[in-house]
Amino acid sequence: MAFEIGILTFGEITSDLTTGALPSPSERMMQTLEQARVAEQAGIDVFGVGEHHRTDFVASAPHMVLAAAATQTSTIKLTSGVTVLSSDDPVRVFENFATLDLLSGGRAEIIAGRGSYTESFPLFGYDLADYADLFREKLDALLAIRAKNPVTWEGGMHRAPLVNADVTPRPVGDLPIWVGVGGTPASAVRTGQLGLPIALALLLGPITQMQRPAALYHQAAAAAGHSEDSLRTSINAHGYVGTTSQGARDTMYPYFARGMRENNHQRGEGFDIPRPAFDAQATEPGVLLVGSVQEIIDKIMTYYEVYGISRAIMQMGFGGVPQKEHLQAIELLGTEVAPVVRREIASREEVAA
Amino acid sequence: MTRPLTVVIVNGSPTERSKTMGLAGLVTTSLGNKLDIQTSSVDVYRLGSGFTGAITREDVSPDVEEDLRRVETADVLIAATPVYRATYPGMFKHLFDLVDQYALANKPVILVATGGSDRHALVIEHALRPLFGFFQAATAPVGFYANSGDFDGTLVLNNEVYSRIEIGVGDILPQLTALADAAETASVNAL
Repeated sequence: MAFEIGILTFGEITSDLTTGALPSPSERMMQTLEQARVAEQAGIDVFGVGEHHRTDFVASAPHMVLAAAATQTSTIKLTSGVTVLSSDDPVRVFENFATLDLLSGGRAEIIAGRGSYTESFPLFGYDLADYADLFREKLDALLAIRAKNPVTWEGGMHRAPLVNADVTPRPVGDLPIWVGVGGTPASAVRTGQLGLPIALALLLGPITQMQRPAALYHQAAAAAGHSEDSLRTSINAHGYVGTTSQGARDTMYPYFARGMRENNHQRGEGFDIPRPAFDAQATEPGVLLVGSVQEIIDKIMTYYEVYGISRAIMQMGFGGVPQKEHLQAIELLGTEVAPVVRREIASREEVAA
Repeated sequence: MTRPLTVVIVNGSPTERSKTMGLAGLVTTSLGNKLDIQTSSVDVYRLGSGFTGAITREDVSPDVEEDLRRVETADVLIAATPVYRATYPGMFKHLFDLVDQYALANKPVILVATGGSDRHALVIEHALRPLFGFFQAATAPVGFYANSGDFDGTLVLNNEVYSRIEIGVGDILPQLTALADAAETASVNAL
């Protein structure tokens, strides 16, 4: 399989830090679709939208956004990133993404996971304490639904059984279901047991931090009888590509710091990640995909060497990078980074084969 | 009248390119972004026989005497050490065994430690803090710890460590600013 480069957005509705301008939700929605179009034109393989249920994000229903993107594109794969499966209904999730698959001619994918926020749990009447059980159960149901129609599924603590249930429409493509893993070993093991593709999410820290979960994933898959060839690994990391190394960092930092506030608490309050901390993450051993074209190529190659990935998804624009800069980075990623990475990895795999 | 603050790192690491100094460097960078500072260090493992052979202060060589003076007259002391055999290395303690009992009284001291895992993190509270409690130093409330997994070489890759440093340095900033604004120099007082 050819190496894939993707982008992911959360559709932030936050102010431009230079002008103070705040996009309206409808403006942001149009911008998000523009990102999908530009990504396809630039030669990017995958476009992802993450699910969030908050005023500062436009995409509580990624399948809707992706459906609109499907009508404006023709080849780019369309994925959620992530679908918060634990607080959703597996039948509904399947129906939504199967519909997307029909609308897009087989380009729909799901990354199932918890995501980085927890608002959806109280919103849909779930207890966050049940997170692990909810996820296991609903993933099980979703896979059963995808495997066979009509479907009989025994049910669980949180979801009633399905008995000879007709769940439609059926997708034209495979409707890949990835599992987003943020480092929890049990989650990696479970993904391996199921033989599902794994989307490793690396937020901050050393690039090698997921080696143990990745190894557990492969071990569990082998133990469950899944062939190594059937497995896929992607990395999902924040990033921004610029024409210069310093310029890329300067553009991304203030937005990333703002976006990270809620995930970076000190004394119970959001705290801006200090610039030296950000710069450390941008160095070779750090996880962030930020910098010049060459730096991004090199870092994706490092990820490839460490994890044997066949897909790299750059979460771009976190914290609300203005559209102009966002589109420039998409262009550079698609036209300058992606061809070199694909060529380099293809030649290495030829040598290996 | 403002003057640069002298910051002295007492480095308890035996290694040349040390994680401990990598972490201490983040502290001095943070301080340097907020204040005018002059930083130097005293590497306890490189002070030689004029230090290791000294049983009392009278025994130390002239250059070691100078280093000890630098520690005693610093405006801000950074006590930085790896954990070795459950605590700071003996060499690190040996330096403080030679420091005058009251030289560090009310002196701002920042505690920095590194260890093989987070199991050693309380070395800051259980080993370093009591030492400076004895000296009646003005030890900063937040100490800084990182484990070897937080580093690539000597570069800290754990974002939380940076944030903690910002918070911890921020806590003592008013005190340090007041110190910098004081007309008299600490070194004059000490002489």
